[in-house]
Amino acid sequence: MFAVLLAAPAFAAAADTAETVRFITCPIYRDTDAGKKSGCWLADDRAGGRRFDVSRAPSKPDWNFEILVEGRIAADVASHCGGLVLEPVRSSVLPTPCPRHMLPAEGFAGNKFTLPPRNVRPLSEVRKAPEPPFADRTFHLVFDFDKAFIVYQLDDYLLDQAITWIRGVNPTRVVVTGWAATDPAEVSGRTIAEDPAIARTRAELVGEALRRLGVPDEKLELRWKTSAQPVAAEGADGLAEPSRRRVDIEVKL
Amino acid sequence: MIRAAPLVLAAAALAALTSALAAPASRPERWWAPGEGRVFPAELDYENETGTLRTMLVGGPMKTKGHPFFAPIGPNGRACVTCHQPADSMSLSAQTAQERWTATNGRDPLFAAGDGSNCPTLPQATRASHSLLLDHGLIRIQRSWPPKDLTGKAITPDFTIETVRDPWGCNTGAKYGPAAASPNVSVYRRPRPISNLKYLLAVGFAYDPKQGMPLPLDPESGRPMSGNLMADGRAGTLNAQMRDAASTHLEFLKNMSARDMARIVYFESRLFSAQIRDRRGGALDAGGAEGGPDKLARSQPGNLGSQGPAPVWSEFAAWEKPDPSLTPEQSAFRQSVARGARSFREKMFLISDSAGINSPIGFGNPVRNSCVFCHNMTQMGNDVAPGQVDLGTTTQPFADPAPHLPLFRITCRRDPHPHYGRVIYTSDPGYALTTGRCADVGKITLQSMRGLAARAPYFSNGSAKDLRAVVDYYDRRYRIGYTEQEKQDLVNLMSAL
Repeated sequence: MFAVLLAAPAFAAAADTAETVRFITCPIYRDTDAGKKSGCWLADDRAGGRRFDVSRAPSKPDWNFEILVEGRIAADVASHCGGLVLEPVRSSVLPTPCPRHMLPAEGFAGNKFTLPPRNVRPLSEVRKAPEPPFADRTFHLVFDFDKAFIVYQLDDYLLDQAITWIRGVNPTRVVVTGWAATDPAEVSGRTIAEDPAIARTRAELVGEALRRLGVPDEKLELRWKTSAQPVAAEGADGLAEPSRRRVDIEVKL
Repeated sequence: MIRAAPLVLAAAALAALTSALAAPASRPERWWAPGEGRVFPAELDYENETGTLRTMLVGGPMKTKGHPFFAPIGPNGRACVTCHQPADSMSLSAQTAQERWTATNGRDPLFAAGDGSNCPTLPQATRASHSLLLDHGLIRIQRSWPPKDLTGKAITPDFTIETVRDPWGCNTGAKYGPAAASPNVSVYRRPRPISNLKYLLAVGFAYDPKQGMPLPLDPESGRPMSGNLMADGRAGTLNAQMRDAASTHLEFLKNMSARDMARIVYFESRLFSAQIRDRRGGALDAGGAEGGPDKLARSQPGNLGSQGPAPVWSEFAAWEKPDPSLTPEQSAFRQSVARGARSFREKMFLISDSAGINSPIGFGNPVRNSCVFCHNMTQMGNDVAPGQVDLGTTTQPFADPAPHLPLFRITCRRDPHPHYGRVIYTSDPGYALTTGRCADVGKITLQSMRGLAARAPYFSNGSAKDLRAVVDYYDRRYRIGYTEQEKQDLVNLMSAL
């Protein structure tokens, strides 16, 4: 089975004619040492025989389990790990067990850690309040496959953006819609689809998160839906499939 | 004269009190008994194996007579101070427990049947019935099962718990254990220090990345909670902790008054403890170093060492440069501490299969990092984020053999645990006893690293008898490969905190 090539989504414009890939495999950890968090994550696409560097994924693999890889080949970026660099890239940990495999550094330097641009700042740093004119606005949080975990240094950052906006505009309603990508898809020789129940779990989790951040109950409305379609979601970085697995936070004035 | 006499008496009385408040005895009694009425001085020093621990009470001395932290408010004769002793960095060492046993022939309220013995059903007069406290510094903690959330609503756990081994009978039978008429689970844990609390209560960020959620809110105040109190996170505020402790450890059957709780919070918030002198290295705040409690009292809590203003344990950075004026022994110790601090931050190793680190946060399993990855708060070494992490100290196969502790079999009903699978064997499920989640089994809240020299043994279950055993555990658990020199440097660093 070949890696599934994703149709270039209209919203991702133009952008990119770069090849996107989607496949399932067991991850490989390469034990490079360029300081903290510098180890490499590699993923072999069994169908095409190519090795990809998925180290830039916000959620990194677990060497005990299969991963679903979704990403775009960054042809002009050299890997410090070995393999074609995927950027942007998402890796979702699946429940199927894998044999652990760790490679030595073999001369690869690994990725020296730099703080990702999407990082939540401490509470001591004052957020810039939104400036008028205000209008209805929708924020998206994007999730790993079949997961409802707010991804560190991705979704928490986007949630922080949303709550800063909400606090600034004092909306009449905040509608939280959880989506599940329930339409079956063929990936690496198997059919995958998200559990429909994850849509509700995502909505309730983000609803609780907003409550904890100060959105009053009476302004919150929760919904959940299946058969999600791709949208232009900042957190998906132009990748269509991850944008289906999301929560929409609609802020209505 | 007639008018002057009361003034003279008042002045004399004031002078006596001032003298009592300002000039503590040079060698204060180590044990603080409930209700004894001593004055708590502004600075209180106690010797320990490696040097001297200092506890500061910011704002000056305090009379303890009638103070709710020091008064035996319940029927068992204990007070908060019973298990939070100044000489033990406001915790309780196993050595102190042994000294009390010897001094009182086991009659001290510390050895109350409820939790100062291995189980209340055992004959209380024998030492063997208190062996967990005497040999391992452990207090019995009885959690109701299933747990309740912060609002008191029952949680439906996603796992079952069965007792596999019960050496003391407190997890089987009609009254005790998960199969009892009113189900409960007894685990055994070290008392946590209650000084330097501003660091444990600090809220640096709005989010708990380990749980993937904003911090939970205190139902009383509506404010976010740090998540760094108590081994299993069952209380998020000092008020909640006090209610829990008063009703269990003190057997106080009424609610503590708001005034008493406020007095305790005020006292605890002024307490700062740290080692101030080392027998080999001398003053820990000399030669440019900033050890000791004064720096703690003056510093802002909640800073992530990696983002400034100062890296973790940079208090000892000045000791990296040799000082020719020192004795060889002093010089060797100081440089060892400075190396230990650097090693703590910079010695990288692979962290694997540790929930709270390798799952579900997304760092990957494994992830390369150092001690400071989790012990990341400047000045204190606890976690800026809520610090519920599974190091494996209580859970097989990583835990050291502990035949003196109960063993539970956890069976996950829905998703298996991300690292242990569906069936887990543990002597303390930790945070899972609070959340009811299988994924949280074995997670224990990181704690302050200050005053360690005064409060052995270590880890929540007392499994490390000394600081070397702490380093050895990490070395085994994560195959770090420390050299002998690196191990000694880390031990020296931790002894200087």
